[in-house]
Amino acid sequence: MTYRRPAALTVLATLVAVLPNLAIAQMSHQHASEAACEETVLRCATKVTPAFAADGTLWLAWMAGGQISVANSRDQGKSFSAPMQVTRERLNLDWGPDARPKLAIDQKGEVALAFSIFRDQAFNGQVLTTRSTDGGRSFDPPRPITANNESQRFEAIGFDPTGAVFAVWLDKRNRVPAQQRGEKYDGAGLFFAASKDGGATYSDAQLAADNTCECCRLALAFDGSGHPVVVFRNIFEGGVRDHAIVTFTDLATAGEVHRVSRDDWQIAACPHHGPSLTISSAGTYHVTWYTNGKARKGLFYARSRDGGKTFSDPLPVGQLNRSPSRPQIIAGPQGLVMAWKEFDGRKTSINLMTSHDDGATWSKPTVVVDTADSSDHPLLVSDGRQTYLSWMTKVDGYHFQAIEGEP
Amino acid sequence: MTRHLLAALILLATLPCARAAGESAPKPFERGSWQRLLHEHAGHPTLVHFWGVTCGPCKVELPQLGRFMKDHPGIDVVTISADLVPNLPDATKSMLNQAGLGSAENWIFDDGFAERLRFEIDPAWQGDIPRTMLIGRDGTITTIEGSAEMTDLNKWSDAQAATTR
Repeated sequence: MTYRRPAALTVLATLVAVLPNLAIAQMSHQHASEAACEETVLRCATKVTPAFAADGTLWLAWMAGGQISVANSRDQGKSFSAPMQVTRERLNLDWGPDARPKLAIDQKGEVALAFSIFRDQAFNGQVLTTRSTDGGRSFDPPRPITANNESQRFEAIGFDPTGAVFAVWLDKRNRVPAQQRGEKYDGAGLFFAASKDGGATYSDAQLAADNTCECCRLALAFDGSGHPVVVFRNIFEGGVRDHAIVTFTDLATAGEVHRVSRDDWQIAACPHHGPSLTISSAGTYHVTWYTNGKARKGLFYARSRDGGKTFSDPLPVGQLNRSPSRPQIIAGPQGLVMAWKEFDGRKTSINLMTSHDDGATWSKPTVVVDTADSSDHPLLVSDGRQTYLSWMTKVDGYHFQAIEGEP
Repeated sequence: MTRHLLAALILLATLPCARAAGESAPKPFERGSWQRLLHEHAGHPTLVHFWGVTCGPCKVELPQLGRFMKDHPGIDVVTISADLVPNLPDATKSMLNQAGLGSAENWIFDDGFAERLRFEIDPAWQGDIPRTMLIGRDGTITTIEGSAEMTDLNKWSDAQAATTR
């Protein structure tokens, strides 16, 4: 990006502008927060994650006041139970743009939960997990998902059809041996483990793919056979941070890694902007992502009908001049729904579009809600009858709405 | 007109500047800060580096920029911590000092609505860091996404030195 500024105008403007700047420099530093308040209640949350239980109960896990809390709703988000605080001591919770607490609920209504903290002054991360065996009334003390002490972040968890918890995260443990060998180590490893006791203990961590991008959320879904499928920002040859996908053959075996698209985003940086994945009843993989590559820039959607081996041509999503971001996709009972943010310089809006032919064609995007201050990512969740938008905002509070056009 | 410009320049040169304060806490970067920053450095080759305390590649690049600043006294070096809030002035300051950038002009994002701050700087920027903007003497801005190659920075700096009147 380049532009020129007329010199005379610049000097005059500088004279006007420099005076208030001095006053600002002398002001005492004040924290500007993404949070509306500092307590642990939902209203003060910066990140809120929804999940439906099999019986239609909506669960929320959120990060507020330095703690992780949960609550549930039996009326599709109109009212919530008293919050249950999962963490006790004040932890340095991972506040990164793509971090959030994750929760998954099994067929019996037991809740597994995972989140990341910064465990030291150098911002090395640690993934902690806990579970509830009394329907969310109490949680075990959170414990590390792995005994290894290298930095871990960006976990994703989900129950497979057999009731096991599958967990996947980004882990820097391979950096140290590589450096000891005098080799350069880029990114982080994509590690995974499984829990057969509802998330109380996890199997030893295994590597699915090494040298993946270290600072983007992962997308996890299960295919029709219950195999975990993970989409992640990989580091391809030449430092290209494009997306890749891996389908696991079972909870302990990663399959082959395939490329989702060739965006050619060569960047040695943290994009803080991970993908979204859903698998429809037809078995089609649907992926949305952000890139700023040489081949394309912005948000994109593509689908795979051969289990992630090949993908359709990427479809651009959103208005490029409105900074589209944070794409989410879900296969609901009435079809696919995609949601993303746009920003016009003043307001952030949530845009939605739907597809009723498994992603072949999409409706025109519509704006469903907006806010004039900071906000969480828009998330989509389904209870098997209806798809809902879940969105936490600083000034307008928590927003949960059924997607129009659904039954 | 020329006389007014000259007067403005003299006044500018004599005004106390936050940069002279040395290794002080990073200044809060708020709405409007970007335009003020551009005005303040107009006519001076300026390197603006966006980074954050939790960003892995930034940890590698920061000390390189510290050396760049030492080797290129003719370039205004500005850092802006663009990590999402809650930002950490103490950790930010400590990392800048360790990297030899304590005496640079240092800022820290100070608006919970980071999208709005980024939009003022570059509407196409989604928040990926590190990111470096090279602002030439003539106001030309070159944006480097991700870690900058020091050879590229040296080349740009040499080109700027060649335009010195």
